[in-house]
Amino acid sequence: VIESDNPQSKIARLEAKFTMTGFSAYFGGLPLELPKVRRVLALFAAALVLSAAPRNEPVSVLYAGSLAAVMENGIGPAFSKATAYSFQGEAQGSLGAARMIRDHIRSPDVFVSADPFVNDTVLIGSHNGNIVTWYFILASSELVLGYNPQGKYGALFEKARAHTIPWYQTLETPGVRFGRGDPSIDPKGYRTLFLFRLAADYYHHPELASLPGEDRNPSQVYPEIVLLGRLESGQLDAGIFYKHEAIAHKLPYVTFPPQISLCDPNFSAFYARESYTTPAGEHIQGAPILLTVTIPSTVHHLNSSLTFVQFLLTSNELLKSFGFGIVAHRVGGDSNQVPQPLRQFAQGMFRP
Amino acid sequence: MTLRARPTFVIFGLLGAGLLVTLLLPILDLAVHADLNGWRTALRTAPALDAIKTSLIASTIALFIMSLLGVPLGYVFARARLRLRRLWISLVFLPLVVPDLAGGILLLRTFGPYGVIGQALSTHHIEATNNLLGIILAQLFVASPFVVISSFAAFANVDPKLELAAATLGDSRWHIFRRVSLPLAWPGIAAGVTLAWIRALGEFGTTLIMAYNPHTLPVYMWVKFESDGLAGAMPVTFCLVILAIAAVVIAMVINHLKGHVDLVAPIGASLEG
Repeated sequence: VIESDNPQSKIARLEAKFTMTGFSAYFGGLPLELPKVRRVLALFAAALVLSAAPRNEPVSVLYAGSLAAVMENGIGPAFSKATAYSFQGEAQGSLGAARMIRDHIRSPDVFVSADPFVNDTVLIGSHNGNIVTWYFILASSELVLGYNPQGKYGALFEKARAHTIPWYQTLETPGVRFGRGDPSIDPKGYRTLFLFRLAADYYHHPELASLPGEDRNPSQVYPEIVLLGRLESGQLDAGIFYKHEAIAHKLPYVTFPPQISLCDPNFSAFYARESYTTPAGEHIQGAPILLTVTIPSTVHHLNSSLTFVQFLLTSNELLKSFGFGIVAHRVGGDSNQVPQPLRQFAQGMFRP
Repeated sequence: MTLRARPTFVIFGLLGAGLLVTLLLPILDLAVHADLNGWRTALRTAPALDAIKTSLIASTIALFIMSLLGVPLGYVFARARLRLRRLWISLVFLPLVVPDLAGGILLLRTFGPYGVIGQALSTHHIEATNNLLGIILAQLFVASPFVVISSFAAFANVDPKLELAAATLGDSRWHIFRRVSLPLAWPGIAAGVTLAWIRALGEFGTTLIMAYNPHTLPVYMWVKFESDGLAGAMPVTFCLVILAIAAVVIAMVINHLKGHVDLVAPIGASLEG
């Protein structure tokens, strides 16, 4: 439904057709037929006019990279179906995305991050140009061990999934290729470091803390999208992912106890014992994995943005089906700045 | 009949000027807002120097391999009695039109530790991703078409009569190639090789997937962009732009030496050979 209704996809198809015409003309040495060009251009112009129609006011959402599949295949289409607005998403690492907004490289209507810390340090405050003044806690997620069931060690991971062997035994098996996020650019990267350190304490197994090697161990760290691609293409045996990523990409996964998976706000004090300092000098404390949503001052389409945030805050069942945990929608930053239509959804204050 | 007298040229010139301004304005902006001292310091840090070293070593090795394998292929395309010549040439174009990330995924599936070739290599304890070899493979994939196409064009532009004359004197193919074809074609080839080198040096998408580590300059630029924002990425951007300008200037100078004016010789003209 979305595919055929969305003028953007029409434009994309026309553009592709247009490019192909030029391409075949170049390689085939054929002259372009003028009437054809005119027809294509006319359609192109029509699509542009359609896309400007108010009925289809878009909401542009810049979101944490790990949410790509959930946003593009789940929430985006569901939102467009439920409302008259179209959804335009862009995935970037939370930290990188926030910096892009602050540096005026991106001006989205809505920003969804995978870490409240990112909002508090990069976007909130006069030193950041007050680009964000408030945000909602949307949901929680947790770390899981995703693996390749068809790989050489598939059977071993199946055992860990059934909890017949401890999960860390799989990663301690020689030859197993293991990947994780890069802590210097990706919250999942430093959260993975927290996971292993917490696990060392939790299982009284100190060797676990050194299993990842150095923080940016070149044989383990990958950018978010590459990590997933490597596992899906069968070039890695296992990696640490968010549960919602594993579900969206249909990866089988091993779950961790809440004491180490960073899923439960009740364990906040426990998680906070671990910390990481980025190469840029930012000091990050262990904390539960929380998604946030906000409307930055860069907003162009206020109506669709308010509708989108409201849609998210009232879609707990949908979020749950994607693997997120349901938590109170607390407000971070300055709760007085929350737009009037959204205030009814606030369930307390959030202080990191 | 001067240029000025023709309205066609005036209109085309204005249209072209619009494009030129669009292309050059971002680079001019970079030059105007340059923080040379700060950037120089940023490029002297250990990770930046490592990235520069990795990029220079990998692209130089890639360049050597590309020339060794690509120039002969260009000669075959231009001079051999080849069936389906256009098909072969189009195939060489493929990596140029395949998106970078797609190229990386294709290479990964072939050379990754559990890929067709990668698996065979790893039984001999050779890894083809996440190291210098992975970077070189990525660079070869995206940049070697430049070498092949420019060699093909340069060899095709050599006057066949000169080669024929050498042949009537009894020279072997190898001698004709070495004494006649190569000396006449080398400026075109060298220009293409220079552009291939800068394409290899600036390669990002394919490299990111094939070898995130060790960081090449473009990957390092992206990491800095992600971790430190725009300010972190600017010094490396500047460094890459300077290298690109240098490559274009070298390519121009090489062509100028031999009196050629076209950076890339017309390809379509000799496709029917």
